[in-house]
Amino acid sequence: MNLDELKKLKDKAQRRVALREGNKKYRVVFSMGTSGIAAGAREVMASMLDELDKRGIENVEVAVTGEIGLVDAEPVIRIEEKSGEKVTYANVSPEGARKIVAEHLQKGKVVDGLAVGKIKEPEQKK
Amino acid sequence: MLEELSLHILDIGMNSLAAGAKNLEVVVIENTSRDWLIIRIRDDGRGMDAKTLSHVLGQNVTSKKSRKKPLGLGLAFLRQTSEMCGGTFHVRSTSGRGTTVTASMRLSHIDRPPMGDLNATILALCAHPGVNVRLHYRANGQTFRFSSKEGKSHEPGRTQEAQGQGATASCAA
Repeated sequence: MNLDELKKLKDKAQRRVALREGNKKYRVVFSMGTSGIAAGAREVMASMLDELDKRGIENVEVAVTGEIGLVDAEPVIRIEEKSGEKVTYANVSPEGARKIVAEHLQKGKVVDGLAVGKIKEPEQKK
Repeated sequence: MLEELSLHILDIGMNSLAAGAKNLEVVVIENTSRDWLIIRIRDDGRGMDAKTLSHVLGQNVTSKKSRKKPLGLGLAFLRQTSEMCGGTFHVRSTSGRGTTVTASMRLSHIDRPPMGDLNATILALCAHPGVNVRLHYRANGQTFRFSSKEGKSHEPGRTQEAQGQGATASCAA
């Protein structure tokens, strides 16, 4: 770690702050508990942010959460659509994250090979 | 096990976020001549009472606790790493007033994990809305400061926040 690398932090963080603003079409939640971190969730997140940047996708909010209980399936990410639909992806690699950006977040197509569950939220809830 | 110190920092920092912290400060001090590396993570979350604190520092900390509580293997991992590398490990906490975790280790210790990608760690912590994440990194007289500075409290779901508040960083030799 050197100071030059740290200096790059500012620009990235600005973009990051913009990404966490709410009311976007998609909300991507990373499980960033101990098990997720040990399984490489941070790298998966970095690769997803990079891919979002590259493709210039703006309508995605990226968030983190603690342990979600799927310890053996980490890294786990959950994509929540504004309509209430939720898709959970498990065992996501950095490459998998790029695929999810290309397929799900850009084209709206669920990546079947990585998804573990789809829950349609009841209408009255929110 | 976590292979980088920055992953440990992320792990402990996530505890702080889970504890409802509004301010999270990460301090990393490297001193080659004295052969010390000190990592301190301080938050103003809900903290822990004495009983919880004694439990969290005990030998038998397991992850079988309720996930809502900031307990788990994270602190145990960092404690193990710092003690393995000739350092010490402290947690200071007051109920309702936040927690400070301090870990030290020998910089030159053969088992000391590399710092790793500290940027990615800070960025991941910044993903949590409404938290001001600060980094203070000092290595042999050089200092780097970073703050994700968000003056106003921010609620998830609200978009009217000014986008310009961004982040600030400064560097001094």
